[in-house]
Amino acid sequence: MIRIGIPRALLYYQYYPMWQTFFHELGAEVVVSPPTTETVLSSGSSRVVAETCLPVKLFLGHVLTLVEQCDYIFIPAIRSVQSKVYNCSKFLGLPDMTKAVIPELPPILDIDIDINKGKRKLYQAIYQLGRHFTWNPSKVRSASIAAWQAHLNYRQLMSDSGLTPPQAIERISGIPKPEPKTHSSNPTSPQATVAIIGHPYLLYDEHISHRLIHRLEQAHNRVLTPEMLTTQELESAIARLVGRAYWTYEEEVVGAGEHYLKSGTDGVIGIMAFGCGPDSLMMDMVRRQATRLRTTPFMSLTLDEHTAEAGVVTRLEAFFDMIYRKKRKQVEICV
Amino acid sequence: MRLGLTHMGSIDVAVRAMARELGIDLVMPPPTTQRTLSLGVKYSPETVCLPFKLQLGNMIEALELGADTLVMPGGPGPCRFGYYHKVHELILRELGYKFHMVTQDRGILHIVKCVTNGASTRKVITAFRFGIAKLKTLEELERMVHKIRAVERNKGEATRTYRDGIIAIDNAGDYQALNRAKREHLQKLMNLPTITSPAPLKVGVTGEFFIVIDPFANMDIEIELGKLGVEVRRPISAGEWVRLNPFIHALKLREKDKSHKAAMPYLSRHVGGDGLQSVGEKVLHTRDWDGIVHLEPFGCVPEIMARNIMLSTKEGCPVLNIIYDEHTGKTGVISRLEAFIDMLHRKKRRQVEICV
Repeated sequence: MIRIGIPRALLYYQYYPMWQTFFHELGAEVVVSPPTTETVLSSGSSRVVAETCLPVKLFLGHVLTLVEQCDYIFIPAIRSVQSKVYNCSKFLGLPDMTKAVIPELPPILDIDIDINKGKRKLYQAIYQLGRHFTWNPSKVRSASIAAWQAHLNYRQLMSDSGLTPPQAIERISGIPKPEPKTHSSNPTSPQATVAIIGHPYLLYDEHISHRLIHRLEQAHNRVLTPEMLTTQELESAIARLVGRAYWTYEEEVVGAGEHYLKSGTDGVIGIMAFGCGPDSLMMDMVRRQATRLRTTPFMSLTLDEHTAEAGVVTRLEAFFDMIYRKKRKQVEICV
Repeated sequence: MRLGLTHMGSIDVAVRAMARELGIDLVMPPPTTQRTLSLGVKYSPETVCLPFKLQLGNMIEALELGADTLVMPGGPGPCRFGYYHKVHELILRELGYKFHMVTQDRGILHIVKCVTNGASTRKVITAFRFGIAKLKTLEELERMVHKIRAVERNKGEATRTYRDGIIAIDNAGDYQALNRAKREHLQKLMNLPTITSPAPLKVGVTGEFFIVIDPFANMDIEIELGKLGVEVRRPISAGEWVRLNPFIHALKLREKDKSHKAAMPYLSRHVGGDGLQSVGEKVLHTRDWDGIVHLEPFGCVPEIMARNIMLSTKEGCPVLNIIYDEHTGKTGVISRLEAFIDMLHRKKRRQVEICV
């Protein structure tokens, strides 16, 4: 059986159920790289120039762990999934860059997803990907339909039952979440409700986000993430703030930021990687909006491979102290 | 309407010519200075790239001079450039400026229509042609000065003549005057006393468009290379943008197309910005250039992608990478250039010895 490696980084959190279904239907076995460790991250960082952004270094680290274990590695080039809305450069050149910096790589399965080139090209690209496994177009077709259905179910599951991507992936495909939750049940009334905005590959990687979500939940806070919103909510928020989306994953930052700033959460935390091109502008948009509204506290955390856990914790503590004080004051005023 | 624009290299010469033809009230901000940069840095997001900050500074200075309309091109694409105008507008409005922002959201023709005061199409085309002619003349002069700078006897003369040339071209009111200015200054450059030692090194300058084009942003890298006795080759130019000849387009004879084709084995897709071209130039010119100086603003994602790929190409042209942000010091840049050029000289000498 052909073994296909999928790195647990970047778009894994968005599309894993879809990819897994597609390859399964075509009779291949999918291997996912193990959760991030320091070794994974540093092996990835050692391959590229220093300014490369954290998620890409992490991605390469995950690819390196898969090198020995599989026959192919799946690295799609997702250029555009919406008309005239493009993805960040790092996604566009990902297969080429990986090939250049990791010469010992097994063959790459790459696919160009570009909606702007028309449906025909998209279907051709999918068929070409399927051809590695079968010559039968109808088999590829049924596999891709099943994959799309799996993706829709996955999105539905997250927005309906308020699950984070790792939780939803766990429920769908039985890949256990890297670190199971230790606290048993949510308290009846959480101390505060905070929203975390940012790209899933940062928020849900327990290593680089320093178990942020877990930490907040343990302190009896309710955590909201961009995936818990429906597409309509995200799109209307983007339309309110910037008009038309410019980047493919703008909704996770600008859309979710605008929505949560206005929906009565106690605070919004923006997570971005140092040197991220799109986020440098998008997070600034959200920050400016927060300053203008003056209703919801906003904090942005910039992560890179040197970010120390203690620093993150200190900033979180200060932020939450402020939120709690604000809440107490509101209660006092009411009384 | 008082139209404010941003600086980029000597493109203001062409813009001024067009504005004069069309009777547009153009408010060109003063040449980019340290003040421009400080203003831009003060109000920009921290980790955004240098062109954003410089252009924001230019806009503020133009608005201070009374501009009420700003133009910011940039369509959809993976580079941050297309998102600039949204954030620029937001920042300037927060600063309390009142202005109208013309963007490329509704196509490039919309911009033309907005800024040309309702002039007739024929008039617009005439004006554009004249502007483009100036740009091409400038480019010719530039190519010549790149050659002369490397071999001139009295350092600095070529640059002075070139600057005179820019002023003469800027002042030219019609094609005749333009041609005269061009002939005169090309001649002057060629007549400068030169040294006749061995052929100078040829070094290509590539990288991110804005930084390569703008002498303030790249800290006069061409002049500094010239002082070191190096002939600069720079395939990226503002003229490349407006090379509208349909034959050249269709036959893919532009430098850009050639370099894209050369990059194919290593990078088969566009990565936005000028990433693909940077890779292509290295592959394309390995034989005819002695080295490459690759320029990029700090945090430029397309160029970072390109750099990762450039490291592993089979073609082993030496590359010096210089990253610019608001903290870059000129002395640091010059030291690195000197070291790089020393290395290239040594390499060349060794090759000659081996051949002998």
